[in-house]
Amino acid sequence: MPDRLEDAWNNLPVLAQDIAVLAGLVAPLVVIGLIIVRRLNPTPLAGAMLWRYRFSNALFVTLIAISVGIGVGLISQERALRTGTANAADKFDLIIAAPGSEMTMMLAAVYLQPSDVPLLDGQTYSEIANHENVDLAAPIAFGDSYRGAPVVGTTADFIDHLTGGLEEGEIFTAHTHAVSGALAPAQIGDTFEPAHGHGAAAEQGAHAGVTYEVVGRMPPTGSPWDRAILVPVEAVWDVHGLAIGHAPERADQIGPPFDAEYFPGTPAVLVRAEALWANYSLRSEFTRGDTMAFFPGAVLAQLHSVMGDVRQVMSIMAIVTQILVAASVLTGLVILMRLFARRLALLRALGAPDRYVFAVVWSYAGALIGAGALLGLVLGYGAARVISRIITQRTDILVQASVGWPEIHLVAGFVAITMLLALAPAFMVLSRNIITDLRA
Amino acid sequence: MTISQGLDLRAHDVKVRAPGGRTILSVDHLKVPAGTAIGVRGPSGAGKSTLLYAIAGLAGDVSGRIAWGDTDMVALTHGARAAFRRSKMGFVFQDFLLFEELSALGNAALAASYVHDSGARQAICERARQHLEDLGLGDNRRKVDSFSGGERQRVAIARALANDPPVLLADEPTASLDRPTADRLVDDLVALTRSGGKTLVAVSHDPALHERMDRVIDIIDGNLAAGTPVHA
Repeated sequence: MPDRLEDAWNNLPVLAQDIAVLAGLVAPLVVIGLIIVRRLNPTPLAGAMLWRYRFSNALFVTLIAISVGIGVGLISQERALRTGTANAADKFDLIIAAPGSEMTMMLAAVYLQPSDVPLLDGQTYSEIANHENVDLAAPIAFGDSYRGAPVVGTTADFIDHLTGGLEEGEIFTAHTHAVSGALAPAQIGDTFEPAHGHGAAAEQGAHAGVTYEVVGRMPPTGSPWDRAILVPVEAVWDVHGLAIGHAPERADQIGPPFDAEYFPGTPAVLVRAEALWANYSLRSEFTRGDTMAFFPGAVLAQLHSVMGDVRQVMSIMAIVTQILVAASVLTGLVILMRLFARRLALLRALGAPDRYVFAVVWSYAGALIGAGALLGLVLGYGAARVISRIITQRTDILVQASVGWPEIHLVAGFVAITMLLALAPAFMVLSRNIITDLRA
Repeated sequence: MTISQGLDLRAHDVKVRAPGGRTILSVDHLKVPAGTAIGVRGPSGAGKSTLLYAIAGLAGDVSGRIAWGDTDMVALTHGARAAFRRSKMGFVFQDFLLFEELSALGNAALAASYVHDSGARQAICERARQHLEDLGLGDNRRKVDSFSGGERQRVAIARALANDPPVLLADEPTASLDRPTADRLVDDLVALTRSGGKTLVAVSHDPALHERMDRVIDIIDGNLAAGTPVHA
């Protein structure tokens, strides 16, 4: 039977599972709430209590909101980061490079983080490019920069694959042409001289006399390639005094096919196969002594998996924090109940049913907790959006925070636990001595 | 609007004990006929309010018999006592005990919030509105925190009568008011209880209130004073 239940659960669509989890968290509250307030009207008195100590109540709501906001922001931000990095790697199906660190090569090729890596030779490149299952084999040559933006040598086919077409201008057709990323510091018509290397180590003037003219502009891709300037790979080789990938009689040719004898080497080759199975076959085939083939998505998944442990610890910390806040709220409610003790004793003296007194206290607590949780959801989302924007600006990886089911479940769980805890002060009110409170 | 007539009170061998077990009130025999207005006086700490709380079913450790009509409060459960107070008793306290954030009508019709029956709810609101009007507080939407002491106590009287209870219990209703306001309040209180044929038990130090009662009983050191008639 449990297996059947598990199967039935696993067969549900994800949305249905999410809704079911939410319903499971909220349902006990709804049932308890209906039992408590059925045919009673605690709203006016709960409202009066809220207004009576509005500043203390506002402080409570703020405390809850900040706590919930931290949890929501943390989860939302982490997911946004994971999604953003995965999206940035989306176009990089398979990368083939010289043996080394997959992580280093992924950071270099996908996220354009500068690093020194060995090169693949022309023979190997030709083997890849001429493989029957390969539809696209684009060399990616990095090493230069312009005003902090990487200048990357590649082919027109790669740009087409990455962007689906230029936003404006034309693709490069000469060694001196360049195509800029959406956020690159060079506009169409600009000319610039590349520096050798990156950042503080960049050697200005190392390529003196070499200028590129920007002839096209890519649409935004949400990846670090938005800040890059792409030039023909032949130009990068040429600038560095290497062979330019083609026999002398075809020296003006831009793009493939390349001549293996004149191919000076490339740090990485982006490979794309139409069929999914072919990618796996190619990875297997080019995982050998002189080459390394890997799926950036898989490496990223490994990274996320390692980070996932940290995320779990952080999530637990967020939950523990919220439980502590819930306990603080509970203590605060007990203290507030002492402030209301005389009025609540009056209600009981007048003959109000215990259920009504209970409903007033619980509704009051519910209003504080509910308002705090909702405000926390908004705060957390807002904070995650701000942080995402900063990360996007700094890394050029498009990170977009959103409110998803995990955040909604977290908030619903927090509300459910806190509202259950809030039953305690409501019970405590009923155990107080009416006469003592009336005389207070 | 129907008006419920007062209930008579019969108390026998009543002992109220403090949490430590000490007897703080002892009443051998007391009878208050329905529709009578009774004043309770005595020195501070003598047990006047304890008597009021005991006959209201609010005192904790009580033995003996306290019967309103045929209902013995001592024998009732906690919930049944609350239900009895809800339907049969109205209360007026020394310092009003109103919900400051509600209007006069919101306070006077408080019982409507916890009455299940919609007809009864409507009747409570209607009576509360009528009593407020009779007491000169009609058409007043201000929150009661802006009311004078006299106005507040009149709202409390309207609240006590909104459920049309046969019994009205008042604990020092004039103690927080100046003389002219107190006199007017006593007029209102007595007029409304007498016109409704209700039984009124009012604990007070105020001789002006005692003068308006049918009978006054004295409590001294937790006992009915010697010579206090036990029958009206």
